[in-house]
Amino acid sequence: METRDAIETADPPQTGPGMGDLAGPFVVTRWDAGRTAVYSAEENAPGGRPFLDQVEIVMGRTLREQATDLEFGRTDLIELGWNDVRRPTPARRSWSSAPVRVVVLAFGPRVDDPRVREALALAVNRTAIHNVLLQGQGEIAGALLPQWISGYAFLFSTAADVARARSLAAAAPPPARSFTLAVDDPALRPVADRIALNARDAGLLVAVVQGPSGDARLTQVRVMSRDGARALAAMAATLGLAAPGRMDTPEALYAAEKFLLEGFRVVPLFHLPDVYGVGPRVKGASGITPLGEWRLENLWLEGGRP
Amino acid sequence: MTFRTRLLLIFTIAVIVSVGLVEWLAIDATRRAFEQMDSRRVDALVAQFRKEFQGRGGDIVRAVNGIAASDTALSIAGAPDPSAYYNEAAAMAAARGLAVLELVADDGSIVSSAEWPARFGYKEDWLLQRAEWKSQGAFLRREELPDGVTLALVAVATVTAGDRKLYIVGGQQLDEGFLSTLVLPEGMRALLYRDLQPQFSPGQLLGPGPRGPDLYAFVSEVRKRGTESSGTIGSEAFHTLPLKGDDGGLLGVLLIGSSREELLSLERSQRWYGSLAAATGILIGIIVTAWATLRVTRPVQRLAESAGKVAAGNWDTTVEIPSSDEVGQLARAFNRMTHQLVEQRERLVQAERVAAWRELARRLAHELKNPLFPLQITVENMQRARERSPDEFDEVFREGAHTLLAELANLKQIIARFSDFAKMPAPRMEPVDFNSLVAETMRLLDAPLAQARVTPKIILDPGLGPVNADAEQMTRALRNLVVNAIDAMPNGGTLTVRTISLGPGMRLEVSDTGQGLTPEECARLFTPYYTTKTHGTGLGLAIVQSVVSDHKGRIAVESEPGKGATFRIDLGP
Repeated sequence: METRDAIETADPPQTGPGMGDLAGPFVVTRWDAGRTAVYSAEENAPGGRPFLDQVEIVMGRTLREQATDLEFGRTDLIELGWNDVRRPTPARRSWSSAPVRVVVLAFGPRVDDPRVREALALAVNRTAIHNVLLQGQGEIAGALLPQWISGYAFLFSTAADVARARSLAAAAPPPARSFTLAVDDPALRPVADRIALNARDAGLLVAVVQGPSGDARLTQVRVMSRDGARALAAMAATLGLAAPGRMDTPEALYAAEKFLLEGFRVVPLFHLPDVYGVGPRVKGASGITPLGEWRLENLWLEGGRP
Repeated sequence: MTFRTRLLLIFTIAVIVSVGLVEWLAIDATRRAFEQMDSRRVDALVAQFRKEFQGRGGDIVRAVNGIAASDTALSIAGAPDPSAYYNEAAAMAAARGLAVLELVADDGSIVSSAEWPARFGYKEDWLLQRAEWKSQGAFLRREELPDGVTLALVAVATVTAGDRKLYIVGGQQLDEGFLSTLVLPEGMRALLYRDLQPQFSPGQLLGPGPRGPDLYAFVSEVRKRGTESSGTIGSEAFHTLPLKGDDGGLLGVLLIGSSREELLSLERSQRWYGSLAAATGILIGIIVTAWATLRVTRPVQRLAESAGKVAAGNWDTTVEIPSSDEVGQLARAFNRMTHQLVEQRERLVQAERVAAWRELARRLAHELKNPLFPLQITVENMQRARERSPDEFDEVFREGAHTLLAELANLKQIIARFSDFAKMPAPRMEPVDFNSLVAETMRLLDAPLAQARVTPKIILDPGLGPVNADAEQMTRALRNLVVNAIDAMPNGGTLTVRTISLGPGMRLEVSDTGQGLTPEECARLFTPYYTTKTHGTGLGLAIVQSVVSDHKGRIAVESEPGKGATFRIDLGP
């Protein structure tokens, strides 16, 4: 995402992830599907006119291209890849939300042996993936809801136990030990490859395939609400799990989530934040909320009108 | 087999063996020369491969050292948390043209892997087992990849930043691509077996060209031996180089294949022309041999024919061989020999004739002298009686005339015996019952036997059938033998006459218990006019032998002095 102070468009507004957050303070003035969207400041916004005149969103740029654009001043705000988070650059700040995405392993009906699913869950070395591939972003997860929402996430085990995983896998029939792992987000491909490597250590043969279809999937699910019950219900629906029961108390919420995770149909791995790189011209407080919502109306650019 | 055939056969065999031996030696020498040439070519290629291999190793060492000398490597080595660099190896490897590159922290854990990025954090403890890698150079190593294990030529360099160390392990895979970069002359190929599994796996044999069970078996055998060796499979010769790792373990086998098709074609061509030349040589040899054999054996054949004529009784045969060699000398000696034989035979005949006449004269004189003496005495008595006692003359004349007539009869008998021997007729053959013949003859001789106090003993074989013979002549022969036996027993004795069936023929034995004969007497016994008695013409046994001979039979005598004698006559059917 790039922010600019003057880009005009006449296209009707459409929203992508985060773009809907601009509605209100800004109005869509140009829309080039899949390429560019230009939002202009709403003079009569409820909280007052934003400082920025326009916000131009350029879509379809890779993380590397975005980093280059930010480095050469062609943009002011970018999404940060995991590799770029801990690489310091002199003129770059970063905004980070709370962990609002959960990376999970979701098994399909083809992997119907619970021993195999548990073996893979125990084989994954979350720590190594978190430290290296995710560059320490977010949190290692054993629960669907992040700790900052539920408060009990730490109760779900995240420790790897390769010996037990190997034992469980050995107990399963050989055909069941071999399956495919689909990953549709290219950014998650290294994680999937590492999971396949860990699976091999446990005696499982996991073949990673790019795309949405596989015996198992490595995917991300977004936390849609600060409310644990609503967030868990949304996640269950997204992942195709049975709707959780009563979740009106923290204990009930915990029980519901534990119930959802029994049988290892879904194995939470990480809770990840949204992270943005911010150019030196951007002034003001953080432009995103803990849930990752954009709040660009209070930002201004250096050299622009305050 | 004739001498000519044998000689021809011997010469032919000698020619074939000689030509074949020469041909074999020529082919073998040529083949060895070709093989040596091929071996030198393979050796040169192997040396080239070694050089190429070392060159590749040098390239890898330089590339790895270049990475080690880079600022990035130094940064990674010095970073307290190198996890941010987990993806660096791929870019580094691409920049240096390496297929394999791992950055390994000083605790042996992988920081970044180009060939398998997901392996970060895994241990490469083998790097920690050696304190210094700089002098190691490039070496072979099994490298794990996401899709299996591969064989790689790798080098190790280290980067030190403060108290931290970073290992850089980089190299190239030994695969089809590596083989394709080897420059090989036409007719040669390089194959690589990657020894990545405990058991031989045909899928790990990389390289161009055909392969089959024989090649697999050969590689499997080389893999077990683990030493440099050579072998031939079909029309292709292989030289194998075991590829060993840093620890000395076998990691692969390189096979340099050299097509022997050209060599085999040359060998076939040489064999063909050699065989043609050999066949021609053998044919010429046989023709020459036949000609030489004819030249050599023709005089010998003439000699043999002449010798045959001599053997047949034509003693005046000569052979004309004009050559002056040994055969010519032999022919001349043969001619001299036959000439001398003729002369000697004539002399012998003359001598025998003279001896026979002398013997006949002696016998005649002896035989005639005995009757003549009484004749002379009688005539003288008659003369004397006429002169002195005329009155008794008649009486004397009558007695003298009786004596004269008796002696004249005796003379006539002597002359008749000689005449009979001279006029021995040809036998009239007819089936004869010899048992009856013997019995009848012996009955007629009862009186003389009794007078001579000889006891006859007749043993007849009842199984004896009729035998073809002239009954009259055989009777005469038996009578002569019996008379001879009686004469041999002046003091009496036992005479045994026996017939014995001999299957198709028969035997007639006449034995006496007389004084016997010496061997010398036995040898001359059948000679005409020879006798050991003080009386007789010496023709009895000669007549017997003549009769037996005319019957195509055989007569023999067995005797020892003092133990009597046995005459055996064997007749055919």
